[in-house]
Amino acid sequence: MDTKYIQHLYWRAGFGINPNELSLFKKKSKKEIVTTLFRNSKKIEPISVINASDYIDLYKNFKSLKKEQRKKLQKMNQKKIRDLNVAWIQRLCNPHQLLRERMTLFWANHFVCKDNNILHFQQFNNLLRTYALGNFRDFVKAVSKSASMLKYLNAKQNKKQSPNENFARELMELFTLGIGHYSENDIKESAKAFTGWNHKHNGAFILRKRLHDYNEKTFLGTTGNFTGEDIIDKILDQKQCAFFICEKIYKYFVNTKIHPSHIDEMVKVFYPTYDIAKLMNHVFLSKWFYNQENRGTKIKSPIDLLVGIHKVVPIEFKTTKQLIYLQKLLGQQLLNPVNVAGWKMGRHWIDTNSLMFRLKLPSILLNNAVISLKGISEFEDTYKMYAEKRKGKKGYLKITQDWDIFQSQYSPLTPVQLQSILLSGILSENAQDLLKDIAFSNAKDYCIQLMSLPEYQLC
Amino acid sequence: MKRRDFIKNSALASSLLYVPSFVNAFNNFNLETEGYKRLVIVQLSGGNDGLNTITPFKNDLYFKNRPGISNNPQELLKLNDELGFHKNLKPLKHLYDQGFLSIINNVGYPNPNRSHFRSTDIWHTASDSNKYLTEGWLGRYLDNYGQNPYNGIEVDESLSLVLKGNKFNGMAVQNATQLFRNSQDPYFKKVLNYPANPHLSEHNLGYLYKTMIAAKNSAKYIYSTTKTYNSKQEYPNNPLAKQLKTAAEFINSGVDCKVIYTSLGGFDTHFNQKLRQDKLLKVYAQSIDAFVKDLQTNNTFKDTLVLTFSEFGRRVKQNAAEGTDHGTANNVFIIGKNLKKKGLYNEAPDLADLDSNGDLKYSIDFRRIYATILKKWMQVDDKIILNQSFNPLTFL
Repeated sequence: MDTKYIQHLYWRAGFGINPNELSLFKKKSKKEIVTTLFRNSKKIEPISVINASDYIDLYKNFKSLKKEQRKKLQKMNQKKIRDLNVAWIQRLCNPHQLLRERMTLFWANHFVCKDNNILHFQQFNNLLRTYALGNFRDFVKAVSKSASMLKYLNAKQNKKQSPNENFARELMELFTLGIGHYSENDIKESAKAFTGWNHKHNGAFILRKRLHDYNEKTFLGTTGNFTGEDIIDKILDQKQCAFFICEKIYKYFVNTKIHPSHIDEMVKVFYPTYDIAKLMNHVFLSKWFYNQENRGTKIKSPIDLLVGIHKVVPIEFKTTKQLIYLQKLLGQQLLNPVNVAGWKMGRHWIDTNSLMFRLKLPSILLNNAVISLKGISEFEDTYKMYAEKRKGKKGYLKITQDWDIFQSQYSPLTPVQLQSILLSGILSENAQDLLKDIAFSNAKDYCIQLMSLPEYQLC
Repeated sequence: MKRRDFIKNSALASSLLYVPSFVNAFNNFNLETEGYKRLVIVQLSGGNDGLNTITPFKNDLYFKNRPGISNNPQELLKLNDELGFHKNLKPLKHLYDQGFLSIINNVGYPNPNRSHFRSTDIWHTASDSNKYLTEGWLGRYLDNYGQNPYNGIEVDESLSLVLKGNKFNGMAVQNATQLFRNSQDPYFKKVLNYPANPHLSEHNLGYLYKTMIAAKNSAKYIYSTTKTYNSKQEYPNNPLAKQLKTAAEFINSGVDCKVIYTSLGGFDTHFNQKLRQDKLLKVYAQSIDAFVKDLQTNNTFKDTLVLTFSEFGRRVKQNAAEGTDHGTANNVFIIGKNLKKKGLYNEAPDLADLDSNGDLKYSIDFRRIYATILKKWMQVDDKIILNQSFNPLTFL
């Protein structure tokens, strides 16, 4: 397959590709490469920062604990959730199942959830990973019954005597059908079917029969003694659900501009089996996925940007808090979504502040915020001096970079090869002219210069 | 000029991208200095306890529900024979006495949400409590009426939802000098030194270049506008005062910004409320005091309106930890020189008629306040911005 196509596939299904991997794939066909991608993602490797039995031990005598001890437990949860954040980023940086991890990240912004209980939140994160390439119908049911989601969307308050519609509404609006494909009455009625849904302390699902409404419900035009599972099945029977999910996948993996005939094609593959792997396989094997208008035109999310830089030059953060703070500054802190609708993505990642910071990010991570001007005609050093003055002051990021790995792969490349492997799309005239003016001195400086172009913000 | 027209005009000549927009802005400003209305917002984050901010000191229910944390009636700054300010709000009382303060009680929204994040979102987006909007109400204001990112400034290091629109965003400026320096990276200057490609403007890459130029120009504009200005006003040393001082610099030096957003955190007083809230209210009042004085000295107070809100109030009944839990309706402060209705705008909270959670019931939807400000102060179409029509109030 054409290297440009391989790069495109690896940016959308993963987080970029390095020269070694690229040279391995060059002689392979599209079919072979895509098949390998799926084969390598077969296994499910959960992330674990705490094991269930340790956690349950800690909470054994919760009721008799004093206020101070309870506060301590709360602190422990907060710390462990930060650990989970870091563990997840490390996983994204060194994935064994590349596509599975990319899909997990995608689903985390679909089934948006937040929890301050580490055990439940870890279970939820691994649930996304487990079903990421599985069956969407089973996926919706598993998410709906997970402790974190039950809490996040107020299942505890959903009782026969006083139904809470939050979950029923979001299930349809955000997870399956999209607004306008159900009535307010459908929400009211389906909320009844979910009454009494709850979880045990270890995260396992239970139905509290006393609180469940066993009466008849009328939902999407049919009446019966529907359970919550029945409601989910009825939703998934709507072709609209497949349509809604395919559109979302297309916007994320292909292009924010929808091409209706491509979506129709996807729905035919996805409905009614809801096989996510089959759908993704179809997308990556399609001709249109590799069309010019889809390559190098997606605005990287902050996590794409961060993990993508790491892919080129491995970096290590010395403190957890700094890595989390960086995510916050960039506007995407994993495990801490803005609201239940998730991050908006695309151009919404960009405002004047975030863009300035994003453009500066490669140099901040790799070179103490200095972008070399070596080789560019006239020399100015104001920022460099400023940056040097700041060096050593507290608050400076504590990072180490593995330049050896970079050198071994990138230093043999010519400037043109470096350009084409680091920048995905078409270069603007600005960038072309600038790059013509740069007298190449070494791969490291040139790499940071390339990564500091607006073009690097795209994949 | 509407945003849409602005884009049309600027698209006419791609070269306009390279006319530093601050040159134009300077020209516009002189014409508009008089009557240039600005809105400053102060968010008390965490849920400020309204009942201990303005206390119904004749109400037995207040003392019955709060045996451990009620204000001492003797110390209150009385507004009438029913309500009194917290003892640390003397500067607010002073504004009240001069007729520069309007207090709106029982502000909230239907089906209140008691999560900080969700309720803040609701206030930021002006949505119904069961709808999720992804633009802030001031973001939508900028979508329709903004010309430059600095028309809406958040005094912080990153931008929150309230100033994010669908097509247009405000900008975060914590420190104009720092921002300017960051934007002056010589490498980025080089990148922008080459003529732009007009064909790019519709694509994401064009959008990135345009935003990069806007960032550079905005940082330069704000820096060059404010650098000659030096405030003589003394401010207390706290995070809110710092933000308000920066806001006053923008206003008094004539930065073309219509909205400025500031916030003070720490109001989530689940335990030992008294000590914490006493301190925070003092910080709030002293900061506002310095800010208003600064504006008065520079004759800009008459054109500035200050709105203070919190994402929710707190439960009427105190909890076991000498604190209060998340509640619902709360009071909102409007500070300005030419208020139509001064002092207490409406009835005091009714502690005898609570909802099933034991929380206050709202009587004024907060979006009516937004509508009033948009319509009567900013003089724009509130319905476009709020997606609904809300009956305006009469404080303006």
